Amino acid sequence: MKFRGFREATVLIALAAILAISEGIYFRDKISWQSPIPASELVTVDQARAWGDGAIWVDARPDEEFAQDHVPGALSLNEDRWNELLPQFLPNWSPEKRVVVYCSAESCNAARDVAKRLRDEAQIKDVFVLQGGWEEWLKKK
Amino acid sequence: MASPQSSAEGDEDAKRVGDGCMRFFWRILDLIVGGIFVYAGVLKVLDPAQFANDIDNYKTLPWLVTVRLAFYLPWLEIFCGLALVFRCLYRGGLSILTTLVLVFIGATIAARVRGLDITCGCFGHVSQNWSFPQHMAIDVAILAGLTALWLPSRVQRAAS
Repeated sequence: MKFRGFREATVLIALAAILAISEGIYFRDKISWQSPIPASELVTVDQARAWGDGAIWVDARPDEEFAQDHVPGALSLNEDRWNELLPQFLPNWSPEKRVVVYCSAESCNAARDVAKRLRDEAQIKDVFVLQGGWEEWLKKK
Repeated sequence: MASPQSSAEGDEDAKRVGDGCMRFFWRILDLIVGGIFVYAGVLKVLDPAQFANDIDNYKTLPWLVTVRLAFYLPWLEIFCGLALVFRCLYRGGLSILTTLVLVFIGATIAARVRGLDITCGCFGHVSQNWSFPQHMAIDVAILAGLTALWLPSRVQRAAS
């Protein structure tokens, strides 16, 4: 009786593990296991610059930070005003252009989230996240 | 005037009705709390990548651990929720869920103190735009429900 709760918890933990492993096997090719953003979706500052006019820069930081400074020619598209900013972004995009999304630094998630929404909701395929974000761009300015 | 015998029977009847009402109340609470966890778990099972991102927002674990937890935690929630709903492995499910909610409340407060703007992702897209007070209110309400289910007489009854 004393260890009943512990035994029951162990059974539940084991059952969950079995299902989680099965689901993990099913999703093994659909999720990035090594880093939050797959390497194929990342781009360095140098690579993105080399794309020249073939790239659209998207600033995923909040409005205030965009207003202070941003990559020349970048368009603001953050999740706070997504519904308002997306219609302003879309006319600037064309299928042959690559989209480079950046946020403040390596550790921020905004660029990843905006990139995901561009792929999922706007059906844009060539969307990349800038490695190191705005901080890295400033270093290489 | 009622005899002592009929008065005692009346007391017993009232006690039985009272016990029945309480059993009904606890059963409903089991179903509500268990159902919440099953619902939350199913939403996350359907989109493990999104849940991994939500965990990553807390910036406390390396991605390798985060992505594995994103597969594991939803199933744990589902099984523990089912344990409450069906009153099978009840005590174990209650222990795990109480621990999970406490850890989650702690992580949410820590993230807030560190100034992180987090999406909890607890209920998929439904919870995406919840504010910090809304997150905390829901968490505390669930914790209160779980704590109520821990009442000794209740757990003993479920275990027997």
